[in-house]
Amino acid sequence: MASDLLSFFTAMENQGGVIVKDMPKLDLELYISNYKGRTRFDRLLLIGQCSVPLCLDALKAAVIEAKKGKDVQRYRDAWECIRFAGPDEPEAQLDDAWVNNTGRSNRTLTHQLETELKGYKNNLVKESIRIGHRDLGEHLEATGNLNASADAYVKMRPDASTISHIIDVGKHMISIMLQKGDWTGILANVNKLMPPNMTADEITAEQPYQKMVAGLAYLGSEKYAEAAKCFLETGDPVFCQRYNDVASSNDVATYGGLLALASMERAELQSKVLDNSSFRNYLELEPQIRKAVSMFVNCRYSACLEILERYRSDYLLDIYLQKHVSKIFSLIRKKCIVQYLIPFSCVTLDSMNAVFAKPDENLEAELISMMKSGVLKARINTIDKVLVMVSSEPRVVMQAKALKTVKDYEEEALERIRRMSLAAADLEIKGSNRKGAGGAGSLPGLGEILLDDITSESNLGIESTS
Amino acid sequence: MDQHASTLLAFPPQDDSVDNETYHKAAVAHVQRISKMIKERSRDLVVFSAELFNVLPSRNPVVDPAVNSLSYLAILHALLFPSLAAKLPQDLILQKLVTFMMVFDGRQCRYGGPPLLEIMDAVGSGRLLPPSVAVECLASAILKLDPSGTILTSSHILLTKLAYDTDNIQPALPVIEKDIVYYPGMANHQDAPYLCDLELPPPLYISKTSGLTTSLKSSMVLEYDLVGGMMYCARREWWKARKAFERVITFPTKDGGCSKIMVEAFKKWILVSLLADGRHSNTPPPHTSESTVKIFGILARSYVSFATAFATDDVEQLKLEAHNNAQLWMEDGNVGLVEEVMASYQKWRVLSLQDIYTKISIAEIRQQTKSAETGAVLNKDEDVEALIHNMIIAGMLKGVIEKNDDGTKFLLFLSPTTHLSERELAKEIQGYAAKLREIKKIFTATSQRLGTSKEYIKWVVKESKRDKSSEAQDPTLAFDTQIDDEDLMGGAQDQ
Repeated sequence: MASDLLSFFTAMENQGGVIVKDMPKLDLELYISNYKGRTRFDRLLLIGQCSVPLCLDALKAAVIEAKKGKDVQRYRDAWECIRFAGPDEPEAQLDDAWVNNTGRSNRTLTHQLETELKGYKNNLVKESIRIGHRDLGEHLEATGNLNASADAYVKMRPDASTISHIIDVGKHMISIMLQKGDWTGILANVNKLMPPNMTADEITAEQPYQKMVAGLAYLGSEKYAEAAKCFLETGDPVFCQRYNDVASSNDVATYGGLLALASMERAELQSKVLDNSSFRNYLELEPQIRKAVSMFVNCRYSACLEILERYRSDYLLDIYLQKHVSKIFSLIRKKCIVQYLIPFSCVTLDSMNAVFAKPDENLEAELISMMKSGVLKARINTIDKVLVMVSSEPRVVMQAKALKTVKDYEEEALERIRRMSLAAADLEIKGSNRKGAGGAGSLPGLGEILLDDITSESNLGIESTS
Repeated sequence: MDQHASTLLAFPPQDDSVDNETYHKAAVAHVQRISKMIKERSRDLVVFSAELFNVLPSRNPVVDPAVNSLSYLAILHALLFPSLAAKLPQDLILQKLVTFMMVFDGRQCRYGGPPLLEIMDAVGSGRLLPPSVAVECLASAILKLDPSGTILTSSHILLTKLAYDTDNIQPALPVIEKDIVYYPGMANHQDAPYLCDLELPPPLYISKTSGLTTSLKSSMVLEYDLVGGMMYCARREWWKARKAFERVITFPTKDGGCSKIMVEAFKKWILVSLLADGRHSNTPPPHTSESTVKIFGILARSYVSFATAFATDDVEQLKLEAHNNAQLWMEDGNVGLVEEVMASYQKWRVLSLQDIYTKISIAEIRQQTKSAETGAVLNKDEDVEALIHNMIIAGMLKGVIEKNDDGTKFLLFLSPTTHLSERELAKEIQGYAAKLREIKKIFTATSQRLGTSKEYIKWVVKESKRDKSSEAQDPTLAFDTQIDDEDLMGGAQDQ
């Protein structure tokens, strides 16, 4: 049993998957009950593939979840996993009858919907055509045929006449893109969810979804500052909870808080996160995030990092956050180090280690990489074991800048006059084939090189004189 | 003989304070007389040359190369062309030639166009004089004609080739170091009324018409800067070499044209940037035309990847790049530069430590930096110490090696920026201001050239016409002025 799990996770690791060995803080049943729709299966499968302690429970739940729906491929995926991880479990037996039946009924239904749609099209009733496309799209989505369902949803657009119809099309499209991880597509389409002539009520109702999706897309494309801003503006959690087929309000709190920590300055954190009345409702759902942010704001960096570290395995099991956890954590950590050093001109490496390093580890390598990337303006003194801050000398900077400016001016002026003179003397190098000829193919201009007579220096290497 | 002497000594006028017009007329007349003399009795010149040069005791005043430069030029020319005259010992003629080249009067020789150019070409070809002397003579002559050194002439090209080929770089430097801003054959340069006017910008008296240069081709201009850059390379003045190569790379092009010389220069430019800066900036210098950038990217790919490897700690990668392209370096004649680059690798690695450390022990430096030549760390701390000492002496690194109480030696990095006092700064700025005033002359000359070009004048005339006509035709404008005249508001207030 244990050996099955071991071989399963070795295989997962070889495929580049993340493996979480620690027991996460979340309760699987409670966690999954927060969601509805297709995301439930995705989340369960991810936990099953990544978390060692929750593996079997999650995979079993995933199999059950898959069998509730119509997507045969999903069932097969979950079954593949559990077949390796727990061959003795009852779920490890492939339910051929279900697979065949579901496949057959799916095909029948698709056919039926297509025929109905044809009928609507003959009747030329716009609304029926729209609904026909929508039903077909939803059915195809449920069976896992995402590309075909996206096509069906696109066809809804010409027949969408009211604002709510347009928003409906947008949401369907974005749900597909979310499942495919098409972040740029979402960012391009997300504004269509908020047509300009909406009433205030409609805005409050639609904003949470729009901001949430945009935030996820920015997160996916690693634009953490923009993503944080979106999550912080999500609005009323009550409306947000309606869209738990995408993410729950708890998720919004976690994403918003973590990303804000990674991308915002101290004052900004205070005003935009802690003092943000609408976001406070979210923070109440995830008190550890609120605690971490306030620790950071109050300069208790090690405590802040400790809290986050405790929840790392939870974050690693989140479907959207997983890929970014290490990056976000290291950003936060770097910011903590930089902030910690601000009031000092000189800190001993030992005290830095005491605050930030894990036991028996040295912070020096991390500090060096931070200095190389320019995040940290400091220098290490390995003789006296201290970290010295670089003091900027505005006077020297000003002097150097003044001298550089005048030197650049001189050079630029001469260079421009030189170029004018060259042009006047008609000495420019002219392309041999004028525009239109362009026969050089994919290498522009390569065929246009003039073979000048440089025989005199082509055989003169530098070595002849040096 | 006497008659010849009096003709030859008739110029320049004894009185120094003559104005440009008189000087010009006298010079032109003198040149005519001399050329007539050369045409009719050039044999006489050769015959009497010994006396005129004051070799033999003579009662006549002699022709002084610094004062009677034009006459001296004529005699020399007669002695040198078509072939060295046999009447006088060869050494003597050449000695006189050298004297002349070093001391002649630049103002006077503006009138001596073709013969002077012929003599300079002969010197530049390296046939007459030993190369080291030839280079020095030619450099001196070029600067005598144009003390600002701002115009490129055919003599410049000869000078660089001769100096580089024969490894006599030092004497050519005074010429090479000048900023070239003019080229012969620039459009719209009307001839100056008086060639002798000392205020004239050089292109007005050094031109094909005055005979002091021949016209140039673009490949010659490119070659001049390329060879100039290679001369700086030979002297290990990487900064200057880079500037020179930059001039080649940014050479103006049209219709997607590019020259092979430019590509060669780009390759050398990358290597020299590594030596000058320790890294290769990914952006080509400003003014580089887009099409050439593309071509460089394709043809110099190996150089770029070599440069990228140079700026990292990955010494193996660098060695690999250097080794894999050994054939290419050979074909491009860049083996020497690549060797220089490899030798400097460890120095730049040490230097990069100053962004991380203020004090670091020698032993740690030894562990952290590798030599690109062996791909390994140095064997002894003493070697590292010697390396650092060399860097400090060469001014590459600002720091000192100190010793701790327990005997560990360490390097203390000092601030690379220098703090200038107000006075020092003022002095620096004054220096630049003076340079800018120099540029103003060039600026005025260029602006005058452009301002008097036909196209520009046509354009100005057209513009001024358009302004007037639009003003007259614009109905709203006319209406406005009328209202102002009537002062309607004033009337309203009165009531």
